[in-house]
Formats: sequence, structure tokens, C-alpha cells
Amino acid sequence: MQRMNWRGLAAVGLALGALTVAACGEDDESSGDAGTTTTEARTFDAGTTMKKLQDEGEMTVGVKFDVPPFGAKNPTSGDVEGFDIDFAKAIADELGVKPKYIEALSDNRIAFLKDGTADLILSTMTINAERDEEIDFSEPYFIAKGRILVKKSNSDIGGVDDLAGKNVCTALGSTYEETLKKQAPKAKLKLVDSYSECLELIQNGAVDAVSTDDVILTGMIIQDDTLKLVDDEPLTTEPYGAGIKEGDKAFQAFVNDVFDKYKSDGRWAKAYQKWVGQYTGEKQEPPTMTLQEAIDLTK
Amino acid sequence: MSALFDVLTENIDEFGGGLWVTLRLVGGAFVIAIVVGTFVAALRIAPSAWLRRLGGIYVETFRNIPLLVLLTLSYAGLRRAGVEIGTWTAGIASLGLYTAAYVAEVLRSGVFAVSKGQIEASLSLGFSYAQTLRRIVLPQAFRTVIPPLGSITIAMIKNSAIVGASIIALGDLLKNARIVQSDTFKTEESFIWAAAGYLVLTVAATIAFRFLERRLAISR
Repeated sequence: MQRMNWRGLAAVGLALGALTVAACGEDDESSGDAGTTTTEARTFDAGTTMKKLQDEGEMTVGVKFDVPPFGAKNPTSGDVEGFDIDFAKAIADELGVKPKYIEALSDNRIAFLKDGTADLILSTMTINAERDEEIDFSEPYFIAKGRILVKKSNSDIGGVDDLAGKNVCTALGSTYEETLKKQAPKAKLKLVDSYSECLELIQNGAVDAVSTDDVILTGMIIQDDTLKLVDDEPLTTEPYGAGIKEGDKAFQAFVNDVFDKYKSDGRWAKAYQKWVGQYTGEKQEPPTMTLQEAIDLTK
Repeated sequence: MSALFDVLTENIDEFGGGLWVTLRLVGGAFVIAIVVGTFVAALRIAPSAWLRRLGGIYVETFRNIPLLVLLTLSYAGLRRAGVEIGTWTAGIASLGLYTAAYVAEVLRSGVFAVSKGQIEASLSLGFSYAQTLRRIVLPQAFRTVIPPLGSITIAMIKNSAIVGASIIALGDLLKNARIVQSDTFKTEESFIWAAAGYLVLTVAATIAFRFLERRLAISR
């Protein structure tokens, strides 16, 4: 009897093992159809980040959790979704690994790359010369414009010059911290950890304006239609880049490679329409700006 | 090593300004904590059961809500409700009222350390309840609770860092250190100087309370 039990257990164990393997196989397929074109995972040389990630079977990506439509946690499903997430999936698919998302705030994402907490950052991060000293970037994968958000009832603020003396919210560690100090030196800056806090502050009247990338502000208008963008020249051009650990040229080339495919096979346009275009009604071509041009823009 | 000091000297305005904000925050909250805490402690030991219950409700409310929640409610919540509360008011009041609950509990324990016979004697000699408290009980209670009050004050100084990290976003020491960090990307250096700033404040508080202890403590 005792022996039978052990055999039975072994059989159950084997069956479970087989199921797990089957489940994993299924998983790969399901993450495949999210990115449409999955072929056999490529093989890479030992010592590269790509090989390391394949061995681990998982890629940790730092994304925004509260910035629709780029990276936001869906309150119903609990999944993180958005434009950045779709691109992260495409990169993970190419490696044949599972993407794991962690929240990267404007303030901590560079530290995450440096200390290895995240393998890749896709969190509405603008490429600039200062950051390029600390980490490496992919080619620009999205071009945002710096804009100002106010309440519809607000008629005082018609442009960046009107921000003098006003309370303006933006995220600590974002490029707007500096942009606003330069372009609106008399504005009273409210630096918070996340844009959802800026949304709260403009809704409850603690600040008069929020300034950041147009797509992030559009996300706020989707949530609250009593807000509007100030109709004025953009403050800045903000090319988004994927953040890669400083000096990892092979991984950088790999990400750029995936991005080229992502653009040319129409996945970029699909993602744009899904996350941005359908709300703004605007059309946009995939960015053609090079990384060097993006860096020069901020010099 | 020089890199460490460069971060301080090049951003001395941010660090100095942050320290000053933290100091004012802590100073204001300390006054509120002691005044409100004493009042609540008096309620907690009042002869009327209703007053005791009222004091109990205060302590349980403010001690059992996380400070971050309190800060968010007092600022974002009140503003949504139409109260035009400012950042300083919300920050100092939240920190002060939160700490007051702990002060009240410590004072209450100090009061229990005063023997009941003294209170009975005082009342039978014709002192009113308030007089008994003010003249007999509280002076002794304060003395016995100086060491735990010191601990509470130090905890409050450290808790003040939550004010800057909350939606109130006052430019306190930690907040400004994080601004320096995001400007310079010097993470360890920025936080080392923030730690040093808090140490200055907490060590100063420790020394002040040691001094009080020596001056006022009941020698046993």
C-alpha cells in the first residue's frame, strides 16, 4: 500500500510537471499574439544581456503605473497596459521571455537601471543629454510635446509666460522640473511623485496648472473633461527613449532592431491609434528622429 | 570623498532651505502635539466617563490612521470638501495632531505614576479637579515622562519626512534632497546629506531632552 502511494504520487507529480510545461508553452503563445509576429526566439552570444534574460526567462521592465495612455494599471483587470507596455511586449517576444512590470517613477527609474532593479525602462522617459551621461537610450520611439493643462474655466493662463506667480504641478525628476525653472522662473513649482497626484491637485484647486508631455495631459483629460490644454506653442519637444544600462551597446542595438521592425510592420501605428489616436483624433507617423538628434535637442 | 562634499556645497541652498522647512514643520507640530496632547490626556483621566470616552476616541483615531493617509485626507480631502487649506496648515496640523495622540498616552501613563493618595489629599483639601491636575498631578507627570517624550519627539522629526513625500509636497529636507538627486543623479550622496540633516535635528532633540531630564527629573 505504502509503495502504491509513492508510485501514485510520482505519477501525479509527472502529470503536474507535464501540465506546467504545457501551460508555459501556452503562455508563450498568448504573449505572442499580443505582439502579432512571434517567430522562434533568436539565439545570442553568451555574456550578452539578451542571453542573460533568456536564461532567466524574464525581463523586468520599469514602466509607469499611473500615466494613461502609456503605462497604467487597469483597475478592473489589475494588468498594466498602454503604449509603453505594448512596446515592452514586442521586445520581450523577440527574446522569447516573459515581461515583468515594475513601477518606475520619474524620480527612481534611472537608479533602477543603475542598480539592476530593472533591465529596461519604458516609462515616458525623455531623452536628454544629462540623462545620456548616466544611462543609454534607444532611438526615439515616440515624440511628445510639452504642454500646459488648466481647468476649462481658467482664462488667466494662455501660455507659459502666464505661469508667473501661479502654482504649477509636475513630477519630481521629470524634464519639466528644469523646463519650468527656465521658461517660467516665477512659477511656484509643486513637485510630486506621480502625475496622478498632479491630477488630484488641479482638480481640488491646489494648483492652477499642470505641465508635462501632451500625451500624459491628454490622459488626464480623458479622465476629467473639465480640463483642457492651453492652446499655445509647445514648451518643448520630448523624444521618448527606452532606458538601457549605461554601456550595454549590444542590448541597445537589439532594442533598436526590434523598434525598426515594430515600426516597419505597422505595429507602431496600431499601438498609436489604440492608445493615443482614437482619443485625440490626430494622426502621427512613427518618429524618424535619431538618438543623436534627440540628445542635441537638449544641449 | 570630495564628490560627497561637492554635492553638499553645490546644492547648499536646497539642503539648507529643506532643513529650515523641516525645522519649522517640526517646531510647529511639536507645539500642537504638546498642547493638544496635554488636553487629550486631561480628558482621558477626567472624572466624567463621557469626557474619558471623547479622549479615547481622539487617541484611537489619530494613532490608528497612518500619517500618510492623514496628510492626504487633511489636504486633498478637505480641499475637495471646499476647505481652502494651505500646505503648511495641513502639514503642521496633521503631524502635530498625529503626534498628540502619542503624547496623550505617554502623559496618561505619567499621571498614573502619581499616587492616588496625592490626588485624594488634594481634592479633600479643597482643590478643584482642574487645580489638582495643574498644581499636583501634571507637574509630576511631565517629569516622569520626559524620556518617552524625547522618543516621541525624535519619531516626529523623522515622521516629518512623510509630509514632503505626500501630496502636500512641502520642500522639506528629504524632498529637497530628492530634487538634488534628480538634478545631479548623485543618489547616495544626496541621501547621505539628508540623513546628516535629520541626525542634526534628532541629536539636538536628544541633547535638549537629556538636559531637561537632568534638570527636572525626580531623583530616585
